[in-house]
Amino acid sequence: MTFVDSLRARTEGRRAKLTIVALFAALFLYPVILPFAVYEQGVLLLAFLTALMAVSWNIISGFAGYVSLGHSVFLGLGAYTGGLLAESYQVNPLWFMPVGGVVAFVAAALVGMVVLRARGHAFVIITIALLLSMQVLVTNFSGLTNGSNGVNVPLPFWSSDYQNMPFYYIFLVLLLATVAFAAWIRRTKFGTGLLAIREDEDKAAAIGVNTTRYKVLAYAVSALPIGVAGVVYAYFLSFLNPIGAFALLTSVTIVLSALAGGRGTLWGPVLGGFVVSIVSEVANVYGGGSQSRLLVLGLALVLVVLFLPQGILPAVAARLASRRAAKQTVEYTDQAGVAAARTSIVVTPRSAPAAERKAAPLLEIRGAAKSFGGLRAVDGVDLTVEAGSITALIGPNGSGKTTLFNLVTGAMPLGSGEIWFDGTRIDRMPPWERAHLGLGRTFQITRLFKSMTVLENVVAPLPTASWSLMAKDAVSGHEAERARELLDFVGLGRFGSQQAGALSYGQQKLVELAQVLMLEPKMILLDEPAGGINPTLVNRMVEIIRDLNRQGIAFLVVEHNIPLVLDLCDPVAVLSRGKVIAQGPPSIVRADPLVLEAYLGPEWLPAEPVPDAVLDQAALSAKGH
Amino acid sequence: MTQLVQALVLGLLIGGVYALMASGLTLIFGVMNIINVAHGALLILVAFITWKIWSLSGIDPILLSVVMTPLMFGFGWLLYKGVLSRISGSSPGMSVLLTFGIAITIEGVLNVTAGNRFRSATPSYFSQSFRVLGISLPKAQVFGCLAAVLVLGLLFVVLSKTWTGRAIRATAQNASGAALVGIQSAGVAALAFAIGTATTGVGGSILSVLYPFFPASHYDWISRLLGIIVLGGMGSLAGALVGALILGLAETLTATYVSLQWSTLIFYAVIMLVLLFRPQGLFGSRLRQDVMA
Amino acid sequence: MVKHHIRTNLARGGWSATPVRVLATSAALLLAVSACGTAPSEKKAAAGSDEPIVVGISLPLTGDFSQPGGEAQKGYEIWKDQVNANGGLLGRPVELKITDDASNQDTVVTDYTKLITQDKVDLLLGTFSTLLNFPASAVAEKNGMLYVEPAGGAPKMFDRGFTKLFFAQQATASHQPDVFVKYIESLPENERPKTAAYPTQDDPFTTPVIESMQKQLEALGVKTVYTTTYPADATNFQTIASAIADKKPDLIAQGAVFEDGVGLIRSLQQLNYSPKMLFQTSAPSNASQYSEGIGVKNTEGVFYTVSWNEKATTPGNEEFVAEYAKRYDGGIPAEDAADAYAAAQVVQAAAEAVKSLDQDKMAEWLHANEVETILGPLAWDETGAPTSDFLLGQWQNGTPEIVAPEAAATVDSAVAKTPWE
Repeated sequence: MTFVDSLRARTEGRRAKLTIVALFAALFLYPVILPFAVYEQGVLLLAFLTALMAVSWNIISGFAGYVSLGHSVFLGLGAYTGGLLAESYQVNPLWFMPVGGVVAFVAAALVGMVVLRARGHAFVIITIALLLSMQVLVTNFSGLTNGSNGVNVPLPFWSSDYQNMPFYYIFLVLLLATVAFAAWIRRTKFGTGLLAIREDEDKAAAIGVNTTRYKVLAYAVSALPIGVAGVVYAYFLSFLNPIGAFALLTSVTIVLSALAGGRGTLWGPVLGGFVVSIVSEVANVYGGGSQSRLLVLGLALVLVVLFLPQGILPAVAARLASRRAAKQTVEYTDQAGVAAARTSIVVTPRSAPAAERKAAPLLEIRGAAKSFGGLRAVDGVDLTVEAGSITALIGPNGSGKTTLFNLVTGAMPLGSGEIWFDGTRIDRMPPWERAHLGLGRTFQITRLFKSMTVLENVVAPLPTASWSLMAKDAVSGHEAERARELLDFVGLGRFGSQQAGALSYGQQKLVELAQVLMLEPKMILLDEPAGGINPTLVNRMVEIIRDLNRQGIAFLVVEHNIPLVLDLCDPVAVLSRGKVIAQGPPSIVRADPLVLEAYLGPEWLPAEPVPDAVLDQAALSAKGH
Repeated sequence: MTQLVQALVLGLLIGGVYALMASGLTLIFGVMNIINVAHGALLILVAFITWKIWSLSGIDPILLSVVMTPLMFGFGWLLYKGVLSRISGSSPGMSVLLTFGIAITIEGVLNVTAGNRFRSATPSYFSQSFRVLGISLPKAQVFGCLAAVLVLGLLFVVLSKTWTGRAIRATAQNASGAALVGIQSAGVAALAFAIGTATTGVGGSILSVLYPFFPASHYDWISRLLGIIVLGGMGSLAGALVGALILGLAETLTATYVSLQWSTLIFYAVIMLVLLFRPQGLFGSRLRQDVMA
Repeated sequence: MVKHHIRTNLARGGWSATPVRVLATSAALLLAVSACGTAPSEKKAAAGSDEPIVVGISLPLTGDFSQPGGEAQKGYEIWKDQVNANGGLLGRPVELKITDDASNQDTVVTDYTKLITQDKVDLLLGTFSTLLNFPASAVAEKNGMLYVEPAGGAPKMFDRGFTKLFFAQQATASHQPDVFVKYIESLPENERPKTAAYPTQDDPFTTPVIESMQKQLEALGVKTVYTTTYPADATNFQTIASAIADKKPDLIAQGAVFEDGVGLIRSLQQLNYSPKMLFQTSAPSNASQYSEGIGVKNTEGVFYTVSWNEKATTPGNEEFVAEYAKRYDGGIPAEDAADAYAAAQVVQAAAEAVKSLDQDKMAEWLHANEVETILGPLAWDETGAPTSDFLLGQWQNGTPEIVAPEAAATVDSAVAKTPWE
């Protein structure tokens, strides 16, 4: 991005901000200028409510990517909380706004703790089932809820001359507060982690993101503003019944609003909420009654999913960006950036491995086994990695190297055996806890969060489980500063605001390494660090690994480039058919007949040690790409 | 005692019909990995058309399934080619949203054209029963169940004896493996979707006699069917059969001994509990993907 | 003018080529569409002119309650045309402003708000179904408007302390069964039912009827052998029917809205259980739909309570029935149409009595006086709940008749129920 370009973006950003400020100023002034346009105020305040719910929904379903089809359940919960309390104490329900929020939050957290263990289809189905079963429960527990008789909420205490104006302002302020809340979340490491979950949940877990906690919290937090608004909604309606309060149609409107406006963006759901509720009101008034409302909503949902899945705002933004791009030459991001001098850095400020003190190995794998169906991918592996070493793990394709990595980092559960890291048994821990102990990894084919910026990618990892760390600012401040340092260290400092997916493959490998360094690791598992990148970058990578190793980080490296392995690593372990068949200094392993057999087949077994060149070729053909 | 036997018999008769309706849904999920939320709405659509033809012509509604089934097969094919094929490979959330949108659209169309009212087809045998050992077997229920079992049997034969059927089953079990042996998964998906939709042709015709329905009834039906295939195991035909019988019995027994008010909740409870504690259901492969698998 | 300012300001502020402008456009559009208003409390000057009196109504013309909503519309329109044909109300012509709320609570609130504050209607009339009248009456009360509702007799409606709400039928739900209980009481001891089953839909209007009936009949010594409440969307009544058949009650009293009433009878037919006495709340009043649903022969002897009957000799009823038949292909008015007509009669009576459209005075007058309607005389207590008795209807020889109270009866006596054919 050139300087002119970024300047232009900044002006545009400022213009967008001005537009938003002007719009909301107009909305604030509107009832003052036209105090008796009660009907318009009524329409607008329902639009505020829809937008508010869409913004909240966006936190779990836009940021974290978990689509909830039953989000109006929290409106009903808030409304019933406020309505029942107000009815039994005969006071103005507005006092119970915080209670409504808390009830929705707690309910979502409880449900989330159980439900959010599920992924994919299961979560969507459960959210619908939750909403529909709430209708039945609220109807059936009539002792508490009055059942189908519904709840009478006291009438507003203000003079009827003010009509809905107070509701208008309450909903407007709540909407702005919700947007600010969502914006704040998006800025924190918590928000970055949610995006990471949406992009690649397993990868997120591998960099220390406690995905369960994140998802449950995101679900609860997305229920909170809706619960608060539900109380006001009850006051506004003055009567509640189960079917109306827990309406599926409200959920559809929420989803459609957020989707149409732009899922995952900040202002998209607001735009969508306004458009959807105003269009549906206009259709109601001018479109021959509301008989067709359902039809319109359904068709709109189908069309949006098919033709505008990213939403209006992102689509318009993309159009603008492409128009801008057409006007100027495209700057290709290539290796140039990496070749630039990198700064040195101190990477491991946190305590030295405990293992060093105890003189025990840093990583110890004992009898690890894992089978898929009948295939024993890892078959009783014993392997140790000493603190401060760069240990290589080599072996032909399909010998179980990557599976072993997955077992160590927790991406797959261990079949049998034990894994110890730095004096702690880790094989039953979730991936993020292993990351918090200082265990990081990179992937054979890089798994960056492609739609996030490079900087966000590097900020996302969490070295500890601390709650306060989650609330830290990810855009500026200490965390972002640290991420920039790490990017400078790998030589990619100037690409911070680029989309990670736009980088070259080699650059992505370096970013992934920087990402792992954010964990302040004691040990890094590298899966083919030199695979598929050009020789200049390979040298740079080796340099970086050595540099980090000098600072005390241990490495376990899977690599097919045998000369590189022999040069960089000591000791070397050889894996074949799920078993370690040799382990020791490079020279010994190189001469081991079992290793040669594994790579070349038994008939190739020579009497003399094989020269490097042959091994290299074998490695290349075994690699097969 | 009579009441218990009566409840069990009614439960099994209903279960047979549920099994047929659920088989199409589970087939589509197995092959395409899409939960077709519009399945319930398609049933109601068929029920409405059947009702309309019956009330105009007096032709037996259950017999009308002979016409409705090929019609729905064609409709399913078109729906797949025109709409669903466009989103193959996108996230589960989006595919559910799409079929949900289709369901609401169908509901809206029925609202506008047919009006939001209860209807039910009542052929002459509707209020009659077979009496066996003091137990009444309502004729409509018996005929409905027989038709369902017949079609289910046909479906099993097609899936196990024909090449096409085996291709569908192979794709359901292992899409990439099926591709290796030369099965085009896009073609199979279209076929599976069409067959799955065709089952609503029979199911909806039976529904029009057994249950009063109105456009929004499809939520009840999709909840029931989801409960059944989640319990049986998503994508498993045998699971759908067993799940349908179990839930048919559970529903009837709850309604008899507890209350109709709580029997609707059974399906939701089953959906949640099964997905949480045994996500693969009784027979299926895992639906839920866990972080710690 | 003001609107203009806002637009230009917006334009200057940030009319840039950003996506956000879509947001601004939609809002600006809305601002531009809006009209200037006056304070809601500034009522239109009561004119001695011949400017029409506008009556605002929101009805569920579509959606779940479209059936009663459509009938209510017919009732209101017949009333309007008859009033106008007779020289209007207070010498002014009457106009109806009817909007559709699609059976949706949010919409009914917006609709009545719009009618009162935007359209400045002179009078209101109620909507249909309790669920919609609850929020709608609150809007009217907030705005100090008289609200006479043709439906919505749930007891809860009247413990909100409203002063301008009136229910234009004879009794609230909990007093609806009184007339049937009185009938049972009048029977000789050995003809009274000994046992009774009480299935009811979970509906704010039917549940109180059945609960109240059960209480009153138990006091008369009728043993309760079965009770159950089923959800509004229940469609399969075989289990309830088989449970009832198992208990063999003399009386089945069902809180039935419509489809559930037909459904239960069909299931009882399948099980071949016919009770000695059958009572259903409102299902049997849906004349031809009901007899088609269960078979004409099977209707014989079924009891129900109702607010109105086509053959009633109440003043104006004959004209109403005739007018309805003339307009709608010789059709017989549904009870809902008659209730709506009666509600309009109540408002008309109040306006004529106080000789103005002053909402407070009209409400005050209604609290103190009785109004003659096609349903019979109606009077209200301080909460707006009516204080008369319902009519007891019974199907005899394929037609719905009234058997009690005597004043309204269309036949001499009740008949016994015959077994299913």
